[in-house]
Amino acid sequence: MDGEAGHIDTFKYFLLPFCLFVFGLFALMLAVYFSASIPIFKHEGLKIYTTNAWIASENPNKEFYGVLAAIYGSVYTSVLAVLIALPLSISFAVFVIDYAPSKIKEPLIVATDIMAGLPTIIYGIWGAFVLVPLLKKYVMIPLYEHLSFIPLFSFKPVTGYSYLSAGVLLGIMVTPFASAIIREAYRALPFMYREAIYSLGATRYEATKLLVKQIKPAIVAGLLLAFGRAIGETVAVSLVIGNTFNINPSLFAPGYTISSLIANQFGNAFIYKYMVPALFAAGLSLFFIGLAVNVLGILILRRYGYGR
Amino acid sequence: MKRSLIALLVLLIAAAICGCTQNKVQNKGVSTGKTVVIIGDGATFPQPQINAWISAYMKLHPNVKIEYNGGGSGKGQADFAAGIVDFAGSDPPLKKSLWERLVNHPPAEGKNPLQFPDIIGAVVVCYNVPGVNSLKLDGQTLANIFMGKIKYWDNESIKALNPGVKLPHKEIVVIHRSDASGTTDIFTTYLSLVSPEWNSTVGAGKVVNWPVDRMGRGVGGKGNQGVVAELKSTPYSICYTELSYALKENLKMVALKNRAGNYVMANSTTIKAAAQHISSYIAPPYAGYKENLRQLLNAPGNDSYPIVAFSHLLIWKNYSDPVKGKAVHNFIKWILTQGQNDKYIVSGYVGLPKSITQRVLSEAGI
Repeated sequence: MDGEAGHIDTFKYFLLPFCLFVFGLFALMLAVYFSASIPIFKHEGLKIYTTNAWIASENPNKEFYGVLAAIYGSVYTSVLAVLIALPLSISFAVFVIDYAPSKIKEPLIVATDIMAGLPTIIYGIWGAFVLVPLLKKYVMIPLYEHLSFIPLFSFKPVTGYSYLSAGVLLGIMVTPFASAIIREAYRALPFMYREAIYSLGATRYEATKLLVKQIKPAIVAGLLLAFGRAIGETVAVSLVIGNTFNINPSLFAPGYTISSLIANQFGNAFIYKYMVPALFAAGLSLFFIGLAVNVLGILILRRYGYGR
Repeated sequence: MKRSLIALLVLLIAAAICGCTQNKVQNKGVSTGKTVVIIGDGATFPQPQINAWISAYMKLHPNVKIEYNGGGSGKGQADFAAGIVDFAGSDPPLKKSLWERLVNHPPAEGKNPLQFPDIIGAVVVCYNVPGVNSLKLDGQTLANIFMGKIKYWDNESIKALNPGVKLPHKEIVVIHRSDASGTTDIFTTYLSLVSPEWNSTVGAGKVVNWPVDRMGRGVGGKGNQGVVAELKSTPYSICYTELSYALKENLKMVALKNRAGNYVMANSTTIKAAAQHISSYIAPPYAGYKENLRQLLNAPGNDSYPIVAFSHLLIWKNYSDPVKGKAVHNFIKWILTQGQNDKYIVSGYVGLPKSITQRVLSEAGI
């Protein structure tokens, strides 16, 4: 390596392989997922994405897989999670930075960072044993009894394992991620802004509203990360979602997600001819959902005038 | 700054390379040295039992090191066929197609596959109904519950089987496995045997389409752990699981009506009784694919528990590494002789009757 030149360009080329390596990893992974799912595309075409069925058979001709219910469940629960994480993480960030007494500020931040690092199975077990019964008793049953004419609440919550349970659990799980990004961006706002706003006679609420507007890109980034975490979560979700192939508009219906489907089925998928390719194809759909969400994020940022 | 960065990088790479080569040397030392390493993978159902055998056997034979990873029956079969592992555990017997592949195109590590049962368990039906502490069901009623045809716990057909039990007017929640599972295969095969309607509408398999799911009263749990967790947190639910889990978690079990018409709970007496009656249906080790699950369920006999589950082991008759081959065969022989003694059997499992182990050993010729 030519270390003597001492020119900035050397450093640039020095970094290039690392960049290529990271990109190469992504491209290779995509290629592997695509090639591994070719058999299922040959077997049933795009029906893997447009139908809802999971017929495993020792006879390969009878095998048929359709993961529409899981795609639906993935998007449904992740959107719920983001909707829950959005107010939680912004409020938390504002409180910690602006209002928390300095004594509890750091402990609060450390606590959320620990939350972010907890193994997800811990959330899953807590979800199955505590969250699901609580939600069922105090949220689902009252809403069903009084408002079941609204499609969202129209499903009788017999078990409690549902999109709602998964969405709430995921919302709790991803809030620390979203709030860490939002918090740091909010902290980085120049103090001058605050002084300027208050000097104009703004109330605390008005000031916060203006300041939060300044960090919109960070909020979008935080939510994108939260969505990615939510849609990729496996164990915790599979403990609370009910694992049934349903497509139902109601929050209280049990369902499936792609990630929990893969976690559930992979162990014994090798017994069947087409199940492994079907699971790879299901994984491939997550790539596309991730891509779509990221593009959406970029578009939103552009609308705000960032990221051009 | 830049130089130190590069130096650091070179150092890191060097360390990584050293680490790799060192690992390789260590691995080699193990397989050629005195200690023999045997690796197995497969079914999770017998895992506690296999681990108990392994630790007992390694104490007796310190020069043998055995590992068993519970990756699932399917993974065990696939890894065994690829020569990645030395033995595999599989709950269902091998399919004919895979068996023929093992016979005709074995991996370099071994040839001539052998399959035999190593332990018996049972699939039990558990329930979580507050206030109800004993429950009897027959096959038809059980099938109707799992089909969703019986909606409430105080249904006439359940009441008729349980005079004197105060059953609540609550909806039944059916909990089943969400992953492909040998347990599901055994349970649904049993339901197919006892209910013609189940047989024609749902059928048997490692994964089936549960009619109750569509009614919103069915939920799936991943693995026995998942099913048990859901049962415990869901009142008025019913599930099927392995006996060992039911015992460990202290679940209430259903007494099932057997072929002779008696209501039996799963325990070592009733499971052994069933095994005795069906021992002739256990396929010889050199033709493992011939085993038919249907013949092993709903066994005749007054005391027989109807849903017994045999777990199987897969080994090679000839290993390309003779030292390893001998070690595997010795371990297997020990499992099928001393290993079947009660003191090595984990709670929830039942040792094989001597008539079966002796026959298996002589037919295997190891």
